[in-house]
Amino acid sequence: MKKVPTLLASLLLAFGLASTDSAAAAEQPIHFGAIGWESGALTTEILRLIVERGYGYPTDTLPGSTVSMEVALARNDLQVIAEEWAGRSPAWVKAEQAGQVFALGDTVKNAEEGWWVPAYVIKGDPARHLEPLAPDLRSVDDLKRYPQVFDDPEAPGKGRFLNSPSGWTSETVNSQKLKAYGLNDLYNNFRSGTGAALDAEIAAKIKLGKPVLFYYWSPTPLMGRYDLVRLEEPPFDAAAWATLTDPANPAPKGSRSLPAKLSIGVSKAFRDAHPELVAVFEKVDLPIDTLNKALARMSETRQKPRDAATAFLRDNPAVWKAWLPADNAAKVEAGL
Amino acid sequence: MSGGFPEALQFSFAAWVNRLVDWLVLHYGDHLRTVSDQLLQLLLGLENLLRLLPWWLLLVLVGLLAWHASRSLARALMLPLLLALIGMLGLWDKLLQTLALVLVSTGLCVLIGVPLGILLATHPLARRLILPVLDVMQTLPAFVYLIPVLMLFGLGKVPAVFATLIYALPPLVRLTELGLAQIDPSLLQAAHGLGASRWQRLRRIALPLALPSIMAGLNQSVMMALSMVVVASMIGARGLGEDVLAGIQTLNVGQGVEAGLAIVALAMVIDRISQAYGRPGR
Repeated sequence: MKKVPTLLASLLLAFGLASTDSAAAAEQPIHFGAIGWESGALTTEILRLIVERGYGYPTDTLPGSTVSMEVALARNDLQVIAEEWAGRSPAWVKAEQAGQVFALGDTVKNAEEGWWVPAYVIKGDPARHLEPLAPDLRSVDDLKRYPQVFDDPEAPGKGRFLNSPSGWTSETVNSQKLKAYGLNDLYNNFRSGTGAALDAEIAAKIKLGKPVLFYYWSPTPLMGRYDLVRLEEPPFDAAAWATLTDPANPAPKGSRSLPAKLSIGVSKAFRDAHPELVAVFEKVDLPIDTLNKALARMSETRQKPRDAATAFLRDNPAVWKAWLPADNAAKVEAGL
Repeated sequence: MSGGFPEALQFSFAAWVNRLVDWLVLHYGDHLRTVSDQLLQLLLGLENLLRLLPWWLLLVLVGLLAWHASRSLARALMLPLLLALIGMLGLWDKLLQTLALVLVSTGLCVLIGVPLGILLATHPLARRLILPVLDVMQTLPAFVYLIPVLMLFGLGKVPAVFATLIYALPPLVRLTELGLAQIDPSLLQAAHGLGASRWQRLRRIALPLALPSIMAGLNQSVMMALSMVVVASMIGARGLGEDVLAGIQTLNVGQGVEAGLAIVALAMVIDRISQAYGRPGR
C-alpha cells in the first residue's frame, strides 16, 4: 500500500511539470518591475499600456526593492524596469558591464535634485496670511542670513536642514554641501530616517504654512503639488562633485548635483527578442512639468497608477504618439 | 480582483481616515507642536545632563547601581564593562541619546501605566474596555501610527517617544493589574478592619505586595522600548538605531551588527539592574 502515495505524488509532480511546460510554450508575459515610488509606478503603467494595447503582448509586474529588481533584471526574471537611475548602484553597473542589462533612452529630461523651500517663505502668501520670512533668499549662500527662520527645536539657535535618510547616497552629498557652503555651524544636519518620514514632515509643514528647508528631487508628486523654489547653487563642476561624493574629504567644494539620467532598464533577452519595443523605449520622453502635474493629481486624489496612466495617455496624445509607429499608436488610442 | 467576495459588501474607510488626519494637522498642528516642544526640552535636558557626566563617572554610577540592586560584585563589574565596550566601538554619544530616549519613554510609561493598572484591577468595567485597546497597541504595525504622529508632532525625538510609549505601555499595565489581582483579599480586609483608608491600603499593602510583578512589567517595558529604537530612527530620532538603519540601507552589515550589539548590551545592563530590584526578599 505504501506505493500508492508515491505513485500519486509522482503523478502530481509529472502533471505539474507538464503544465508549467505548456504555460511556457504559450506566450510568457513581459515582466515589469513593480516600482514603489510614484514616478516609477506611473511610467511602468504607461509603458505597460503601450505594450499591451499597441503590440498585444501580455504583461505582468513583480514587486521587489530596487537592488533586488536590478539583480532580477540581470537574470532575466524581470524584462523591464521602467524608471532606472542607471549607473547609481553597483549591482546595475556590474550587470551592465557584463552585457546582461541595457539602459534605453533618456525618459525624463531635466530630472534634478537639490535644496528647496516653499515659495511662501520668500514671497509670503496673503491668502493664507503668511509673511515673507526670507524675502531675499535666492541661493544657498543666502541661507547664512536665515537660520532663525528654519529654527530647529532639537538644536536651539540653529536652523534645520532636512537631509535625506542616512544610508542614501544623497545624504553624503548633502552633508558635504553643508560644509562647502559654510552652513555647518548655522544649520543642524537633520537626517529624516526614511523617505516616508521626509515626505510627511514636508507635507505637514506646508499645510501649516511653516518655513521648511529640505533636500528633494524631481520628478515627484511634491513638485507638481506645491509651489516650491529651488535654491541656486554654483554650476556643475566634475572636480567639485568628486569632493562632494567623498564623505572623508575635509574641504569639499560647492557644485550642483550631477544631472540625473533616467532610463528604461531592459534585460538582454528582451532586447534581442523585441527590437520593435526597444525602438519605442529609446524614444520615450516625458516632459517633466506634465509628469509632475500628473503625479501630483495621482497622489492628491489617491488614483491607482493604472488609472493615472490611462488618463495621462488620454490627455497628452502629442507626448506619446511621437514614440511609436502610427498604426500601433492608433491601436493604443482605441483601447483608452 | 476582489477574490470572490461580493462587491456589494465591500467598503473602504481609507478616504475618511485621510480626511481626519488632514483636518487634525490643520486645526491642532500648531498646539500639538507646542506641547511637543516642551517634551523635547525635557529630553534634551536629560541628554545634556548625561553628556555633562564624564564617561568614567557614568560607568562608576552604573556599577554602584548594579551593586546596590544585586549585591553581586561580578555584576557590578560586568555591567559597566558592557557599556564601556559600546564606548570603545565609538558609539558613546549615540548611546547617551538612546539612553535618554528610553529613560523618558519609560518614565512616561510608569506615570501612565501604573495608575492605569490600578484602575484595571479595581474597576471590572474599565478592565473590559481597556484590555482590547492594549491588544491593538501591541499588534498594530508601528508605521501605521508613526506617520500621522509625525505629522502632528513634528519629525524627530518626540514622535519617537510617543511611538515607544504606545508599544511599551501594555506589559506594564497588564503586570501591574496582575500583581494587584493576586493579592490575598483577607490581607486588605484585615487592614480595613484596623481602620486603614483606601489610600493607605493601596500605598502600604497592595503596592508593596505587587511590586515584584510591577517591576517585571517595568522590565518588559524597557526591553520593548529598546526594541523600538530602530523604528524610532526611521522618523529621525538619532541614536544607536540610526546606525542600524544606515547599515541595513547601505548593505554595510558590519556597521549594522556593531550598532545592533550595542543595543543588546544596553538592554542587558538595564535588564539585569531592573530585574534585581524586582526580586522579592532582596
